[in-house]
Amino acid sequence: MAADPILLPGDYLDPKVLPSHPSKALKLGPGLLHIPPNSIVSTVAGRLCTDNKKNAVWVEYNSGRYIPVVDDLVIATIHHSATDFYYASISDYSSNAILPNLSFEGASRKSRPQLAPGALVYARITLANKHMDLELECVSASTGKSDGLGPLTGGMVFSVSLAMARRLMLPKPGEQGQLVLLEELGAAGASFEIAVGRNGRVWVDSKSVKSTLAIGNMIQRTDQEGWMVEKQRIMAKRMAKEIS
Amino acid sequence: MAAPISIAVPGQLLGQASDFLPGSGTHIHNSKLYASILGPISKTIPPKSQGPQKRLTKITPAEPARPATVSIERGISLTSAKDGGKKAEVLPDVNSTVLCKVTRIAPKQASVAILVVGETVLDGEWQGLIRVQDVRATEKDKVKIFESFKPGDIVRAVVISLGDQSNYYLSTASNSLGVIMAASEAGNAMYPVSWKEYKDPETGVSESRKVAKPF
Repeated sequence: MAADPILLPGDYLDPKVLPSHPSKALKLGPGLLHIPPNSIVSTVAGRLCTDNKKNAVWVEYNSGRYIPVVDDLVIATIHHSATDFYYASISDYSSNAILPNLSFEGASRKSRPQLAPGALVYARITLANKHMDLELECVSASTGKSDGLGPLTGGMVFSVSLAMARRLMLPKPGEQGQLVLLEELGAAGASFEIAVGRNGRVWVDSKSVKSTLAIGNMIQRTDQEGWMVEKQRIMAKRMAKEIS
Repeated sequence: MAAPISIAVPGQLLGQASDFLPGSGTHIHNSKLYASILGPISKTIPPKSQGPQKRLTKITPAEPARPATVSIERGISLTSAKDGGKKAEVLPDVNSTVLCKVTRIAPKQASVAILVVGETVLDGEWQGLIRVQDVRATEKDKVKIFESFKPGDIVRAVVISLGDQSNYYLSTASNSLGVIMAASEAGNAMYPVSWKEYKDPETGVSESRKVAKPF
């Protein structure tokens, strides 16, 4: 396999690197823009990735600013409450999002959730566009069940880069994202609960404050220091011994 | 030859409230009729009422004399010059068709700036509001503002209420009302495809809008 090309914003794609498929049309993922009629240009700096089975091509990049997209799962911090909804903060650099009072499991006009400013919720984005304020929900609109969404009690939230949040949320973080840290920690006996928000936040809860801090710190260091699989294994084993 | 038109200034006493009926541009204060705006005074005299009907068996009383209605006319230019005179000031009224540009959208309403009333282009912009239940005539609860309007669209609407201090209330709940001009996210002018779609000819992307039926 040829080396993955690194792209800069404005680079035109060489047609040779594009995958081909007998029946499916080429699908452009994040980071690429189609300029009619024939050129594809990268809009971000990152590594080009291709998937021959799905006939898809996209750019893996680490941007600093989270751009909300409908159906993304995020960790939001309640800022203040209004008559019918809460204002929740997704990121420091954007305005508050709206979380309706009735968008929680089992909420009705008589029983509303009691969330104080500073509380954390795991929510899904329902409305995201550049013209209007962001809207969230903590319940699945069709089924009425929360599916793990809702207030996050206890624990602590840590910030990670957006690329790290994406790696943590992959279906197979080990092979697709070179991330084995959490698996190794679990295998070595540490017990903890985490929730990952695509806006670059990870919530960790564990038996003691020490283990919560240790696990959160390890996730941040994997991200910032760029630990590869081997180093993640070694550090995970060492940490698990210290916590338990 | 022609009777001189008398011009009233705001606050000018026009008569007693018992002598006249107040029309547009006037108001009553302490049972006297005053002018509210600057303009020529016009009196409309109602048709003369019939005298008491004479019948052999009954005498019906005469209808009380209806007083004249005094009003101040709007929109009359005070100078007759073609270009130098002030433009006629036309105000949007209930049931008048207006053209407006969408300035902001929110989940429950769209704010617009009214630019044209009827056939007259306005000097200033009046603020209008299109509530989410006034966007369509059917399935009003399923309307999403984001799929009906976007900032920058030109919309044909009808005034349903003179509203409050800040906004007129408009409605697009008719086939002939809605977005008449829209630009795509890429910046190109779009063509209408159906009652709910506009299409960008360059990129081929469709966008949702509440489309007005083209004539």
